Amino acid sequence: MQTTTTLPAPSAPRARAFSFAWLGVVPFFLFAILFLILPSGILLIGSVQNARGEFTLENFGGLFQESIANSYILSLQLSVTTAVVGGIFGFLLAYAAILGGLPRSVRTTLLTFSGVASNFAGVPLAFAFIATLGRLGFVTVLLKDLLGFDLNQTGFSVFGFLSLTLTYIYFQFPLMVLIIAPALDGLKKEWREAAENLGASAWQYWRIVAFPVLLPSILGTMILLFSNAFGAVATAYALTGGNFPLATILIFRQIRGEVLGNPGLGYAVAVGMVIIMGGSLAIYYFLQRKTERWLKQ
Amino acid sequence: MSFLELNNVRKTFGQTDAVRAFNLQVERGEFVSFLGPSGCGKTTTLRMIAGFELPTSGAIVINGDDVTYKPPQKRNTGMVFQSYALFPNMTVGDNIGFGLKIAGEPKSAIQKRVDEMLAIIKMEKFGARYPYQLSGGQQQRVALARAIAIRPQVLLLDEPLSALDAKIRVSLRQEIRAIQQKLGITTIYVTHDQEEALSLSDRVVVMNDGRIEQVGTPFEIYNFPTTEFAAQFVGTLNTIQATVRDAARGALIVANQEITTSQKLDGLRNGDAHSIAIRPERVSFAADGKKPNVLNVRIENITFLGSIVRVQVSAGENIFYMDTFNNPFLSLPKIGDHAEVTFSKEAVLVLKNK
Amino acid sequence: MKKFPIWSWLMILLGFTYFLLPLIGTLDFSLRILKDQLSLDAYVNVLNAVRFQNTFTYSFTMALWTIVACTLLVAPTAYWVHLKLPHLRPVIEFITLLTFVVPAILLVFGLIRIYSRPPLSLMESEIGSDFLLVMGYVSLALPYMYRAVDNGLRAIDVRTLTEAAQSLGAGWRIILFSVIFPNLRAALLSGAFLTFATVIGEFTIATFLARPAFGPYMANLGQTRPYESTALTIISLALTWASIGMIQLLGRGAQGQLVGTR
Repeated sequence: MQTTTTLPAPSAPRARAFSFAWLGVVPFFLFAILFLILPSGILLIGSVQNARGEFTLENFGGLFQESIANSYILSLQLSVTTAVVGGIFGFLLAYAAILGGLPRSVRTTLLTFSGVASNFAGVPLAFAFIATLGRLGFVTVLLKDLLGFDLNQTGFSVFGFLSLTLTYIYFQFPLMVLIIAPALDGLKKEWREAAENLGASAWQYWRIVAFPVLLPSILGTMILLFSNAFGAVATAYALTGGNFPLATILIFRQIRGEVLGNPGLGYAVAVGMVIIMGGSLAIYYFLQRKTERWLKQ
Repeated sequence: MSFLELNNVRKTFGQTDAVRAFNLQVERGEFVSFLGPSGCGKTTTLRMIAGFELPTSGAIVINGDDVTYKPPQKRNTGMVFQSYALFPNMTVGDNIGFGLKIAGEPKSAIQKRVDEMLAIIKMEKFGARYPYQLSGGQQQRVALARAIAIRPQVLLLDEPLSALDAKIRVSLRQEIRAIQQKLGITTIYVTHDQEEALSLSDRVVVMNDGRIEQVGTPFEIYNFPTTEFAAQFVGTLNTIQATVRDAARGALIVANQEITTSQKLDGLRNGDAHSIAIRPERVSFAADGKKPNVLNVRIENITFLGSIVRVQVSAGENIFYMDTFNNPFLSLPKIGDHAEVTFSKEAVLVLKNK
Repeated sequence: MKKFPIWSWLMILLGFTYFLLPLIGTLDFSLRILKDQLSLDAYVNVLNAVRFQNTFTYSFTMALWTIVACTLLVAPTAYWVHLKLPHLRPVIEFITLLTFVVPAILLVFGLIRIYSRPPLSLMESEIGSDFLLVMGYVSLALPYMYRAVDNGLRAIDVRTLTEAAQSLGAGWRIILFSVIFPNLRAALLSGAFLTFATVIGEFTIATFLARPAFGPYMANLGQTRPYESTALTIISLALTWASIGMIQLLGRGAQGQLVGTR
């Protein structure tokens, strides 16, 4: 009883300081609740309910049935491949343009192109690759006419995994360029000079100083690329006509009522994706914090 | 032969001469400052010694070894940068031990040297910290330790204190000097701050526009500047327009009053206009006794600067300053008053006209 | 005496090949609707198609509404948080990040579940569906719009500017519209162009809300009219170029969208 009577004392000045300032953010929070939190929440609720609306965890057990697990695995394969390949390619490009001794105009051009390409996605991107790598695509015909190499004979299909990988990389590596460029700019000239002054060769500087400094940024950006690919659907849908069983396409067809049949299972697939996306974002933030601390001056 | 020699070192960037015909001999264990305004070539010269820039012509010799075209890695110099340039991904200890690790020294030897260095910079407890956990002053001390850990032949400091607060600047510069003297390490120190250069150095090289203006001890540079630039750049200087009255006797006219200088008025004829210079602290109010140089002046302004009081006076067209030490019982004239000021013959510097 | 950076040039060459090859391929394909000759017929066909005109106008209008709604939602909130509620900043940032975690396909999944049935059956009416579409797009645009404005606010000293305006007798309306927003113009405009580039061809949300939008039309056309759909690809690419070009002109540097409408 004693403690409860003494409690209000310290909070009294806070109560007086209470203002109506929070009213200014009401529209934002209202929006967030109605159009972000509620939709996400409803997926979560749906995922732990059965057809009769009772609580259950069975839906999550259903994720391990073969077709669904395979969708996740396929999505993970595609996302990891495009994140790693696109990430490395984008990094090398940015490195060449920024630190490779090229004229400054190259860097500007590359960043502009990357801005466009990273925003050129979805349906039109899929069409561009069909026009390029399809049966009568530009590159397919070019290879055949010039080199006598028939892409169609190799088992390559513009609607397959390799083609989808190449298509995703088209927006993945420019994104890497855009995000990693500031990190490369953050490498101070003085670090190289200090290392040289202390006897380090160019390779030693790169191995002991520059690469470790960049590594969290590189990994962090690759994780962003991963989630970027993992959540994508329009490109894959338009390219393959919905016949490529990625997790997102599974959900696409579930919403249309074409697959699964069990609504709770559909929500569970969605929640599983949210967990993977959230987890990767958390890792990204951890890595981001590390570099920010290093490079703050 | 001196320990560090720069012989006729020149550096041009495109059309501009950054450094022209730079000649300097530095003895083993000497502390030499390059002092000058930004763009005077002091940092470029330092970077040529470190090997980050190659001279357009000339030679740089360290301890009898011509290093002019050697890469930075092969010079065994220790460099401290204005921006600290600590490696952000390494602890303080790893930063200090970096050069030794590159040189392939055994772990135990590195650890021993790192501990020694941490003791020298009085940061024994900071070995495991990261640079971002340190203040600017601490980071610069670590950078200093990193540079001297490799036992360099020459220590090079490029404006190491300019990014720091005024108070830390003063204490750290004393620390740098103490460490340098303790280790007897040959040091080149680049700065635009005359107070730093004067207080730290055995010798000061005053530079302007890629050229050496004057080389000398701080005492010489301050008291006997040989060029107008050196005189103007170091300390406060009053420039006064005078007319030569009697070149042989060293007599000049300032605002219709005669003054004399102990310096020679070579090559000047009677009646020539010529500027002379006097440091504010050499001017004082004239007591009753007659002194050689007395000027009748009007008090224009009085500024309180703490330990000194700066009085602005005018004599005819000339306006100049005089400094008096502050004390609570000081009685100062009022603005608009007339007063007599005096200075010795030796205080009157005759500058080479450009 | 620097050596020629051959590896860097090779890398750049490879990069630009990757950039340009699909574009050249698309352009080439779009011109080949007539056998054995190049023509602009595919473009003519598509530009004259009534459904193209209708869906494009619709998406364009929705993009404008999205920009207006997003600006009105983000700019005052970010300003207010900077000025009065700085401790809320992490919360707001977290919310803007939710859209990374919940990509378009999952967002629309949830939206349908809530708004297709009582008590909030927005999808019953056309206007309600349009509203829902715009709100979905605002969610997509939220992270980079917020970041643009937040960076803009950080660059100017909001508190001092506001206090200076107040001490000169300005009211809130004048402070917002004559002092703060003009200083954020570049940030808001670059956010607006990026939003436009994202939303104009958006497919997923528009499909599930059954809106007559440009994205679903394009996807549909791809099934039946390959040349016309390729011409549309070139047109939407030109729009992306224009948007990014405007952002560059504003001096904001190129930005990439994440987990938007891919």
